[in-house]
Amino acid sequence: MSLINYSSREINCKIVYYGPGLCGKTTNLQHIYSRVPQETRGKMISLATEMDRTLFFDFLPLELGQIRGFRTRFHLYTVPGQVYYNASRKLILKGVDGIVFVADSQIDRFEANIESYMNMLDNLTEHDLNLEKIPFVMQYNKRDLPRVVPVDDLERELNPRKAPYFEAVALKGSGVFDTLKVACKLVLKTLG
Amino acid sequence: MVKGNWALFEEDFWSINTILQNLIHTSSAKSVMLIDKTGQLISSIGEPPGFDVTSFASLSAADFAANQQLALMVGEADFATLVHQGANESLYLSMIANRVILVVLFDRKTSLGLVRLKARRSGEELLSVLNRLFDKLQYKNEELSGTTLGAEFAAEAESEIDSLFQD
Repeated sequence: MSLINYSSREINCKIVYYGPGLCGKTTNLQHIYSRVPQETRGKMISLATEMDRTLFFDFLPLELGQIRGFRTRFHLYTVPGQVYYNASRKLILKGVDGIVFVADSQIDRFEANIESYMNMLDNLTEHDLNLEKIPFVMQYNKRDLPRVVPVDDLERELNPRKAPYFEAVALKGSGVFDTLKVACKLVLKTLG
Repeated sequence: MVKGNWALFEEDFWSINTILQNLIHTSSAKSVMLIDKTGQLISSIGEPPGFDVTSFASLSAADFAANQQLALMVGEADFATLVHQGANESLYLSMIANRVILVVLFDRKTSLGLVRLKARRSGEELLSVLNRLFDKLQYKNEELSGTTLGAEFAAEAESEIDSLFQD
């Protein structure tokens, strides 16, 4: 739910990174945090377990600066990917303006991607939201690993609405900013 | 915007800030924040906090959301207020109109009882301002959409995105 404050001239938008456990959602945010100029990024918050698994969410605010007099910010969130944290995932989707689905390209994670994608659709429905109407970008992560599903197969199963997609190796940063840029631009289009 | 999301206009913003100022004054709190329940900061009044307010807003919303789910589990519709009491600094959080969270940060110069009392009154005043705002958003969407950002905003924002978000 974007919030435009005409008095303080601020615009805030929320983008959520969704996907199965260990697919690389947090890694995406860590890469963004490490590469954007310091004045662009806020403090990154990670509510994680001692084993560095996301417990509730990661949060990274990014500020574009003044755009035609409006301070424009994107708030990036990740959801916890592990199946049993669904209550938390549902909460984080509240008020979402755009979604990045990070799929794990490895063959043995194929089912986990589908399960997470279906779970996302269910959770959106619970918020009376429809994926057709939300800016959505698909990211096929871990493309550098040896046993990965061909992109065509991933597209067929996970991206029937043909949203923009990117291949990525989030650990090395490849594809991370391509994904983010398109997600941000799609969200801004909905404000115009 | 104004297409089902929400916008805050000059007059509403100042009405809200006046209420928050008054709350600071009457409760002797350190600072007061109003946060959208999705975690976006609407306004912050009082002593500038020595922490990152954006992160604080996001965590407060998450705190409230998690507690709301706990309330449902124990058979309550919600926990309308939350209190976090520390040795020196404490927080009082309260949901208004099921849409925004009022957060009062206070120390030992005042008491929870006073904060609670004054925050409740301010909450009622905020409710009427917010209801007026939501009505305006609901019924004037078309009229308002003419005043919004437009193609030039999108073009400029896109170029900023391209220059900032890169390896």
